Amino acid sequence: MLDDHAGRAVPRPLDLAIGCVPMRLHFPGEDLRSQSLERYEGFCATVEPAYPIRFESPAPVLPHSADFSYQFEGASLRCDKVGAFFSGVRHAYALDTLLRILLSWVLLPRTGFLLHAATVVRQGRAYVFAGRSGAGKSTVASLAPAGSVLTDEISLLRYEEGQWRAHGTPFWGEFRAAGSNTSAPVAGFFRLIQSPRNSVRAMRPAEALRALLPNVLFFSTDTSANRRLLDILTQAVEQVPSYHLDFQRTQNFWEVLPA
Amino acid sequence: MNSPSAPLWQKNPALAWREIDGETVIISPGDSVMHELNDTGSFIWKHVDGQRTAAEIAALLRSEYIVTSEIALADTEALLEELAGQRLVVLAANGSAGDSSR
Repeated sequence: MLDDHAGRAVPRPLDLAIGCVPMRLHFPGEDLRSQSLERYEGFCATVEPAYPIRFESPAPVLPHSADFSYQFEGASLRCDKVGAFFSGVRHAYALDTLLRILLSWVLLPRTGFLLHAATVVRQGRAYVFAGRSGAGKSTVASLAPAGSVLTDEISLLRYEEGQWRAHGTPFWGEFRAAGSNTSAPVAGFFRLIQSPRNSVRAMRPAEALRALLPNVLFFSTDTSANRRLLDILTQAVEQVPSYHLDFQRTQNFWEVLPA
Repeated sequence: MNSPSAPLWQKNPALAWREIDGETVIISPGDSVMHELNDTGSFIWKHVDGQRTAAEIAALLRSEYIVTSEIALADTEALLEELAGQRLVVLAANGSAGDSSR
């Protein structure tokens, strides 16, 4: 435990790195810290400089206007390039939600985005299966070999050193397992469609953008942020092959995927 | 000839839009709704600049596509009306082609 400026004991900060985005969470109490330590265990890493996240209740007035703010079921965040303030965070679920929202914004200058997608690594390449709830992400993950699932719910995509990479995240879905804190170059985006047969059809970039966009996690209403996101997504669908995937609930669908 | 009160439209400055693969994708930030335009729609969209009337855009359309002037104008006006209904285009500050400021 550490002391804050008023002499009160405060927990030691928790360092996370999700998608190679380092964050330092300054928890106000031990309960939320211990829940987070358990939930994000595989994503604890200290990388400097870490983006600081402070918790306040009620929300403090930032010394200057926030670049981005958002409210969700009583919890809220305000952030700028220097750091973020979370308020009203009463449980791990609220923290998980605010972290997703914050990441969607923090990734913009890093040429990255969050996607409702399961990602499975096969022969060193990431197959990204996009779709909303019920599309079959968890089914795909459950059919994948042990240890090959980066995430069954939220994939983090970033353009790094000349290639698109998919990162695992700790934001899980029905698979009920935290993702893997690793990454792999993206083999392709696949729009999931459950079907009695297995087949795959290539999509043109515009079609891929249309398929991906409803699955992108993004919460900013700022025009410049939306333009930046659209630039990133356009780059992604122009550089990564994308496909419609009709698939059965069996492992056989791998047979129709491009090598 | 333009009607004296032909409206001048401009793209809503709050929008994010990109041309990809010959099609135009537009996002309205307020509701994050995605709108798409096909190739002729994209052509019209590119020329919505707060300076040209529907008739002037239709004339450009006719020079690029095999289409009669009546159909070009009808299609242009219909698309502009639809875009205006979705607030994707808004009236330009100088209002209409008949304004004395023009």
